[in-house]
Amino acid sequence: MSAELRANFHEQLDQIRTEIARMSADVTELVPRATDILLDADLEGAEYVILGDDDYDARSIELEEQCFRVIALQAPVAQDLRSLVSAIKIIADVERSADLCVNICKATRRIYGHELDAELRGVIRKMGEQAHALFKECTEAYLNLDGPRAAALHDMDSYLDDLQRQFIQVIFESHAAGHIDLQVAVQLAVVARFFERIGDHAVNVGERVRYIVDAWVPEHPYPESDNDPPEIVAVPELGADD
Amino acid sequence: MLLAVLVATVAGVVAGVLIASALSRRAVAPIRVDPVVDEATGSSVRDAVDRLEIGVVMFGSAGDVTFSNAAARMMNGTHAGLIVSDHLAQVVEQVRTRGAGSREVVLHGPPRQIIAIEAKPLPRGGVVATIQDVSARALVDAMRKDFVANISHELKTPVGAIAVLAETVAEERDPAVASSLSARLVDEAHRAIRTIDDLLELSRIESKQPSDDLVDLAAVVDLAVERGRALAIGRDIEIAALDSGDALRVRGDRRQLESALGNLVENAVKYSHDGGAVQVRVRLDEPWIELMVADQGVGIPARDLDRVFERFYRVDKARARGTGGTGLGLSIVRHVAGNHGGDVAVQSAEGEGATFVIRLPARLLVAPTAADDNDRALSAPGDER
Repeated sequence: MSAELRANFHEQLDQIRTEIARMSADVTELVPRATDILLDADLEGAEYVILGDDDYDARSIELEEQCFRVIALQAPVAQDLRSLVSAIKIIADVERSADLCVNICKATRRIYGHELDAELRGVIRKMGEQAHALFKECTEAYLNLDGPRAAALHDMDSYLDDLQRQFIQVIFESHAAGHIDLQVAVQLAVVARFFERIGDHAVNVGERVRYIVDAWVPEHPYPESDNDPPEIVAVPELGADD
Repeated sequence: MLLAVLVATVAGVVAGVLIASALSRRAVAPIRVDPVVDEATGSSVRDAVDRLEIGVVMFGSAGDVTFSNAAARMMNGTHAGLIVSDHLAQVVEQVRTRGAGSREVVLHGPPRQIIAIEAKPLPRGGVVATIQDVSARALVDAMRKDFVANISHELKTPVGAIAVLAETVAEERDPAVASSLSARLVDEAHRAIRTIDDLLELSRIESKQPSDDLVDLAAVVDLAVERGRALAIGRDIEIAALDSGDALRVRGDRRQLESALGNLVENAVKYSHDGGAVQVRVRLDEPWIELMVADQGVGIPARDLDRVFERFYRVDKARARGTGGTGLGLSIVRHVAGNHGGDVAVQSAEGEGATFVIRLPARLLVAPTAADDNDRALSAPGDER
């Protein structure tokens, strides 16, 4: 009888994980969608994504509730406890990433009507692709509780950080050449930060997957904190504008 | 007494088991896959369904999955699987309420994928659903639709403009205005002529076997570079033939090859920034001869890369008229390459320039020794490598 209860309990855990992974997969799709919306100045699409955010909020609250309930009723231990506690944190990372996609769509409204250089568009596209790849990877690593795959996310994120640095540089150049005004330049710098943050959340999910699988925790102090924005070096003279 | 109890107990247990198994069989019977087996080979329907490329999933009356074939099982544990399974559940629900259900799911990628889900009720309860990647079909549909829309746009726009301008000129009394209108009339007429010329050229290339000339690739490159320079006047774009394939001679259609390489160089110039550089290179890389044109211009977004060789396809629809092209150049290039048994490829990212490569099979090459002696080369095709 107790074996049956346990089986039922593990089914519950699997179901919660699948549901969270499904929300994460939906957010994964949201990343390229937001990138397209930004590059195509698609205001209608932006509206849909912005309106759809409530759904993610509702889903994350519902999933969190499920985790609380299982923790309270089943008193899980060891990996089961790790997986439920991590699930609560992963839900927050996924939900926050959906917000960041919404922010990208809101930025689309603010830069509407401004033409972007091909170089800018190219780097935005690359950042979108890399953030998408990271999120897809962390979703699948979590769904399959695949520790080694989760561990690889860190390196994927450093490429996204490099892209952010490169993007900031291109923004400066485009602004200095008079192709975009200061307002658009600032908006784009913020967008770069949104993509970079999505990558960080994916890395967080990866770390939590490793914690579930073998109780791995990051070394302290961090050799290099994941969540620090990449340092921006070599600011070219900005005097051209005034 | 003891014996009687024992017998009764055993009988009871046996009966219980029988009833239980009968009940459970009745419960699962309608949703179990019919084990139809081909008597000669021993293969079952299940084996056959497992080898289909499309995913097949069966659902029981309670909405639970009772069978999924290999293609469907492959999706377990993947990002696509998560998305598709969610939609699958909704489509099955549609079947329950409306009798049939279907849906197309777009995965943004890259690469962008379109997955069609279709579900139908089964005669004895339950639902069967198929999952199929229809990205290629969707691309062909988009091509066909865009082509019809684009060709009528490209032909009608200049002709419509000519009609309106001509009407205005006919009524205009001010000679200054009339002359400026006529100038625009001439522009639009030339635009229409260019489009029609390119269309005719394209259909000629499509329908005609390439002629069998002895073509000096260095001369083809020189001509293309010249064409590019004429277009680059005043824009400070450097066009260089880094390696013009000296002494490389091929058998092919001279006019077509000139047109193809010329189109690529012209494109490279058009999409370059002022002060940029365009490089042309020919090299032998067995089993191919590669004609390469590289620029540092605006580049091509990844999602358009597959489609730039389509007739009239434009990456930037808004700015298309500014470049003065007809939208047929790259289609011509692709057909010329195809006619010579080769192909054309492009490598590009937005903002990072583009490199186009025409590959011709090296068997078209005429041996360098034979090239010194034109008569022998022309009369003895056996000398070809």
